[in-house]
Amino acid sequence: MGKSTTKSLVAGRSAQDLVRRLGHTLDIARQAVDRLAATGYADPREPANNLRPEKVIAETAFLLLCASRAGAHPEIREKIQSLAERLIPYARGERMVLGVCLEPALALDYAQAHICLARLGYPDPGFDSVLRRSVDSQARAGRERPPHRVLEQHWLEEGWDGSRSNSHSKLTAAARNSVLGRPMDLLSSSRDDVYAFTHALMYVTDCHLPPRQLPRPVSVILAEAEAALSRCLDDQDYDLGGEVLLAWPLTGRPWSAAAAFGFRVLARVEDEAGFLPSPSTKLQRLNELKGDERSNYLLATVYHTAYVMGLVCAVALEPGKAPPAEIPPGRFAAGSADKILPFLDADAHRTHWREEFDRLAAPERNALAGLLFAIALRRKASQRDFAGLRATLAVGYELGLANSPAASQAAELLERIAAAAPLLAGRRPPPPERA
Amino acid sequence: MSIRVNHQEIVKAALESKAVDFGAIGKLVAELGPSVSLADEPWEGFCGTMRYFIHIFIINPGNPGSTVENLGGLQGATGEIQS
Repeated sequence: MGKSTTKSLVAGRSAQDLVRRLGHTLDIARQAVDRLAATGYADPREPANNLRPEKVIAETAFLLLCASRAGAHPEIREKIQSLAERLIPYARGERMVLGVCLEPALALDYAQAHICLARLGYPDPGFDSVLRRSVDSQARAGRERPPHRVLEQHWLEEGWDGSRSNSHSKLTAAARNSVLGRPMDLLSSSRDDVYAFTHALMYVTDCHLPPRQLPRPVSVILAEAEAALSRCLDDQDYDLGGEVLLAWPLTGRPWSAAAAFGFRVLARVEDEAGFLPSPSTKLQRLNELKGDERSNYLLATVYHTAYVMGLVCAVALEPGKAPPAEIPPGRFAAGSADKILPFLDADAHRTHWREEFDRLAAPERNALAGLLFAIALRRKASQRDFAGLRATLAVGYELGLANSPAASQAAELLERIAAAAPLLAGRRPPPPERA
Repeated sequence: MSIRVNHQEIVKAALESKAVDFGAIGKLVAELGPSVSLADEPWEGFCGTMRYFIHIFIINPGNPGSTVENLGGLQGATGEIQS
């Protein structure tokens, strides 16, 4: 699909496709609210799947707020209205009111759905009054929070009442203290670190609020986002990968080759599975369950990743923000991707991204040489294959791929390891004594 | 802290530095530290001061190392979550 001037198309991927995907997410959200908003979900066999109702309620409200960006599409607007009305009793029900009262340091967290709904045009002065008492109380800031959670608090406060106590400037300061203000560890970070990145970016770039400057240049942040995306694609972590993809439309920058490819992978996976899946949904377990148990398990394990896809599509529906239908041309020398592939093909596992990659034409594949390089570096680092890491780095450097934070962090890792080697060798624990 | 980092220069310096037997070091690290997982939260239990206080909205960390199920198999369940 090339560029089109017809009304129904945005540059690149069609609005129709994005609207369809967002509508699908909102349909899932309706089911999630109906089944999970009252009591959440408790999984007797896999407690990691447990879900508090507050989580579903707040995340649904956040989804609706983002979806409102696409409110110009009548089918989306109708679904938002219908779902918002369904959500209100839960967002402002007894559980949330009590949460706000009893835990003032978590008041804004409990009130997130209320705040999002108010921003959508569904105010509730009574709830505001209760919330105000908590937010004005002594204990209002009585919990320790990581920086991105501090950002979240300022974002909630500014969205609720932008006139309160310099919430805008507090948000800007909190952004500097978050992962947005310093380089991410691209080789050994946890999922939670990437989660902090994606959420910090969402809170800072919420377009309904006055824009604020990011603490580092956008190009620097997006270079790290690309490395994070490479990790998510290789791990088939679409929950986090989708959140990382938000970085491009949220910052208003053109989708890079890697980001465009990332969306393509997620879209294809969503089309093949019927929804964007996460590892939590186990087919064997699903097939053991029947009736409500089965439906609740499915929704509880599916909803979050589905919501993420909805968020990406919602933001991408803004004018000029759609991912391109084709991979943008790259700046790498012809054949670069083919020289990196052997480092990846040495590993046995086959991934969705690789299947999609193999479908691309040669120029598109080559445009992704940087992405392949980032994937290879992380694999070698996580395997502790430092010889392989050095070899990969050397090839990447010769191909002009090394101008990336993933490459320089890999180089720094090798230097640290080399410096530590004499210490490690000299301090090996003695072998256990034989009885 | 400098925001602009010359990534290529860092890589070049590392590649030009004294040759080291990285293969041997990798083997040593693997023997010494299988519990030093890069993806874990070592600080969580290190001194007990870093705790997740905000439990409500933490995403499901998922199963490290696990992957999504067969997409075709999941497709069969799609109809159940459509309105």
